[in-house]
Amino acid sequence: MELKKALLDRRSVRQFEERDVEKELLQELLVAGIWSPTAGNIQPWVFFCITERVRIHRIQVVSPGMLGNPQALICVCSDQNRAFEKAGQGGKILALMDCAMAAQNIMLRAHDLGLATCVIRSFNQTAVRELLEAPGHIVPELLINIGYTVKQPSKPSRNMELVHWEYYREDING
Amino acid sequence: MGKEELYNRLFELVGYMLTSARGLIDEPQLYGPFRLIDGVSRLCGFLDEKTGYGDFFINLKEKIDEGKFLVMTDTDAFVKLLDDAVLDYTEKMKEENTT
Repeated sequence: MELKKALLDRRSVRQFEERDVEKELLQELLVAGIWSPTAGNIQPWVFFCITERVRIHRIQVVSPGMLGNPQALICVCSDQNRAFEKAGQGGKILALMDCAMAAQNIMLRAHDLGLATCVIRSFNQTAVRELLEAPGHIVPELLINIGYTVKQPSKPSRNMELVHWEYYREDING
Repeated sequence: MGKEELYNRLFELVGYMLTSARGLIDEPQLYGPFRLIDGVSRLCGFLDEKTGYGDFFINLKEKIDEGKFLVMTDTDAFVKLLDDAVLDYTEKMKEENTT
């Protein structure tokens, strides 16, 4: 798929077909995440791929923002120990940025492979970490719902005018 | 609905409400009404046709589920959905004369 098409056509999808996502495709998504930009090549992330229905359901119960019926999940977590060790106090925000970029890579690759996604921050991080059986320095940052879409959502509105060329002006259109 | 299914669904609703309460402290303001109306939809789902509570809850749930995602694209339409749901509820209350 042409990159521009992927960028413009990707949508947040919440209604999925009741159909398993092939493991080979999920592995492709994880590779896309691992090859995301990362400050100082720190790679302060950990990816969890969840496909068992019971585990997905339990995570959904503590994730108010997770709507619909995802068939698989990728939880992008930051490793706070690695982030702090390599970047000090600033490592926390850098890790969050890196995780966000990894999530975007995963979603674009998913779209490229004919999968649909929805990224979620509205979940209880403590509860999700507990369900993932992860230690305290692993912080769930984003959940990505994955599956095959029932239908492509319509195009949302976007403001194309929030751009300043060369310098800031109060009246962008002036 | 059997006792076990009711327990499971209530247990999940409690999880939704608890984590919503915590999450909303740090989330966009409009997520509050969304979580509440989504909670109403989930609650109405308990009172579906199997329970014999009639069409009101089924229709309300359908109406909510059809429009709740407008919160992300059309705030005015989302507010209208809430207003309509309140009106439906009020009319039902008058009709039943129970409150």
